[in-house]
Amino acid sequence: MSGPPDHPQHEHPHAPVGADEKPSYYDMMETAVRELLIERGLIGAGEIRRQIEVLDSRTPALGAKVVARAWVDPAFKQRLLADGRKACEEFGISFYDDTELIVLENTETVHNLIVCTLCSCYPRPVLGLPPDWYKLKPYRARAVSEPRAVLAEFGTHIPNGVDIHVSDSTAMVRYLVLPKRPANTETYSEETLAAMVTRDAMIGVVEVAAPTQEVT
Amino acid sequence: MGTEELLKRLPTDMGGLPADAIVRSEHDLLPWEKRCHALADVLDFHKIINTEEKRRGVEALGAEMVGKLSYYERWIAAFANILFAKGILSPADLARKMDEVEARWSATGS
Repeated sequence: MSGPPDHPQHEHPHAPVGADEKPSYYDMMETAVRELLIERGLIGAGEIRRQIEVLDSRTPALGAKVVARAWVDPAFKQRLLADGRKACEEFGISFYDDTELIVLENTETVHNLIVCTLCSCYPRPVLGLPPDWYKLKPYRARAVSEPRAVLAEFGTHIPNGVDIHVSDSTAMVRYLVLPKRPANTETYSEETLAAMVTRDAMIGVVEVAAPTQEVT
Repeated sequence: MGTEELLKRLPTDMGGLPADAIVRSEHDLLPWEKRCHALADVLDFHKIINTEEKRRGVEALGAEMVGKLSYYERWIAAFANILFAKGILSPADLARKMDEVEARWSATGS
């Protein structure tokens, strides 16, 4: 399947790729570009393999740990809001790119939402790779002009008295939302709290759900 | 319609435009897509192609390709063009290598 998809928004579901299926045109182009660069000594074959491992190691669970730590440790939260990258690095999360990280705190009066209108910039060191919808036109186009309508499509209803701040990422500056800690979680461990924090809450399209009633 | 709109809005500059409802689509990357992402990162580490050059390279593909190619198809096409423009690879180098990759698959694939 190498021909262009016929629907303009593409992001078509890909056919499953079997080992015996001929690689697509673009798959072969990637292999060719990579091999040429390796042959010329411009990049190392091992570097690509290592970077794939790095990519695989980055998931929203990392961001969730950062959020939970900020909820339980006010001094850490202060450092996180002052310099997101430095605080994450101190927490053991390395940044494999040159990006700055700005952490945006949701409060009783402000709800934050992140987007990249021009492309797909995303806090990859702490969240991994973005979901497809984050990279597609509807979210990129509308998040900045009608954030409340966008949030409603995610089932999120922010009261009118709460301001919505939308932050547009760039190649150098990435954002992470620090969601509000749900009520009635005072007795929760940091680990339990981290398990409640979702990727979408750190993008800002949903809030962290309050715990359902539990007998403890 | 005046042509000035074409100058004011490049195809990737879509913030604030009207658009459809959000479909919460996700997919696991295909193996070549993940390799392509790793390649982008490694090209950035070596200061061969940085993120901003990549973004502009995608923009330079023009509206039709931006609309019809998938995300990583746009990336690899942009990388090839940028590497040509920088004189690091030539179109002939790439064509030859792609033939080789295809021949290798034909010899070993079924």
